[in-house]
Parts: sequence; structure tokens; C-alpha cells
Amino acid sequence: MWTITCRRIKRDRRGISNIIVVVLSLVIILAIVSNIVLWNYEMTQLDWEKMKENVLITNVENVTSGSQFTFQNNGGLTVHLVSLWIINPTDHQRYDINVFVNSAETKTYLRGDIALPTGNYTVKVVTERGNTAVYSES
Amino acid sequence: MGERKNMRKLLRNRRGITPVLSSLLMMVIAVAGMSIAITATYVITDGLHDNMGERLIVEDVWFTPNQVSLYLRNVGKISIEVAAVYINRTDQSFTPLELEQNKHGWLTVTYGWSADSAYEIKVVTRRGTTVVDYYMSPY
Repeated sequence: MWTITCRRIKRDRRGISNIIVVVLSLVIILAIVSNIVLWNYEMTQLDWEKMKENVLITNVENVTSGSQFTFQNNGGLTVHLVSLWIINPTDHQRYDINVFVNSAETKTYLRGDIALPTGNYTVKVVTERGNTAVYSES
Repeated sequence: MGERKNMRKLLRNRRGITPVLSSLLMMVIAVAGMSIAITATYVITDGLHDNMGERLIVEDVWFTPNQVSLYLRNVGKISIEVAAVYINRTDQSFTPLELEQNKHGWLTVTYGWSADSAYEIKVVTRRGTTVVDYYMSPY
């Protein structure tokens, strides 16, 4: 009896195409969903890292060989500083920088080509992830 | 001699052609259908990818006579193109700007601003990402 049922199942080809269609559809849906989920995860990770950044400019001063900036990283991740702005009422000057500050580290950065303006000015640094730290001097 | 006869018989015998043709046709249709489905999947996923991967920041805003200059940085995973700039919810004319990944540049907006006033500045990319903030003009 069991053998007869097995043979019948093996011979019965009805419904095979439906199964193939369902399997192929599932593969396509899985490909779409996994692709989107993975990409979304990557971007959420990026936003999360941005939120965790906390960088401060603790001191800006003129020294004999140029200008010295002190950065303090109070966040849990290493920050990469990419832009330095010296802003006064008449000029907004941007400089490319490449400074890494580890978590809980204070780092001084010396630039011989930057002269701090007299009077009121603002110093701003921008991180690679898109955060900014501002220091004002009057 | 016998082989020739067999070949002739085989060539003349037209039975069974229809199922072969129909199977071939079905295969072509199935392959075409799958290609369309895969292309559609790629297009949809790619569009969503691009939308999710856009990140833009405004590094600096500089008010100069009859102009507002914005320094933009692309911090996302894909290149961006600025499609519109709104100041106080009004569309403004600006210099076209396209930024590749990790690139930055000035976006100049023609605008007659007043001193010591707050302005809502909104930057919209071609894919619809918006960056909006309030900025004070100088005295």
C-alpha cells in the first residue's frame, strides 16, 4: 500500500510549476529585502557613529611658529577632523586638515600658515562624519 | 544503404515537432519574464539604495551683499546634486552644485538679506534629501 502511494506521488507531476513559481518569487523577494536591510543597517550604523561623536575645541592661541589649536575628544569613537574654519566678520577662511583624535584624548595641532585674526573670531572644526565643534574668541 | 533510408525516414517524420516548439517558446517566455523581474528588482533596489545613502551637511553659511553662500560637504555613500534651495520657504536661484562622495564646495544663493535676522535655509537634493536649519545674518 505504502509503495503504491509513493509511486503515485512520484508520477504525479501536477502542481510542480506552481512550486517553481513560488520558489523563484521567494528568491526575488529575499534578494530585495536582504539588500535593503543590509544597506539600511550600514547607514544606521553611520548615523549612530555620528551621534556618538563629541569633540571640543578647548584652546586656540597664537604661538611663535603659527597658530595652535587644542582638540578634546569626549566621545567613545576616534574622530577624524577634516575641516578647520577661521571666521571673522569680514572673512570665512577654510583649511583642509587631517587630524585623528582618539577617544578621551586631547591633541594639540599646530599650523604655521594660519594667522589668527585680531578682534572677534570663531574657530570651527568639522569631522568626517559631519559633526562640528565651535570655539569663539572676543 | 540502410543508414540512408533511416535518415530519410527521420527527416520526413514530422511527428513530435509541436511539443518541441511549444517547449522552446515556453522557455523563451520564461527567460524573458525572469529577466524583466530581475531588472525591475535591480532598478527598485538601486533607487532605494541611493535614497538611503545620501547624507549632506552645511559646514558654513556666509552672508555677503545680495548673496548667501553655503559650504556643503557630502558625508554620505553616494554623489549628490543640489536641486533646490529655499530661504524662508521661498525657492531661490543658485549656482549648480554636484558633490561626489567626501567632496565639498560652495553653493552660492542670490538673495537680498537684511541684517540681524534669522533665516530658515533649506537645501534639497535631486533624490529628495533635505537639510534645513536657521542661520542669523550679521549686523
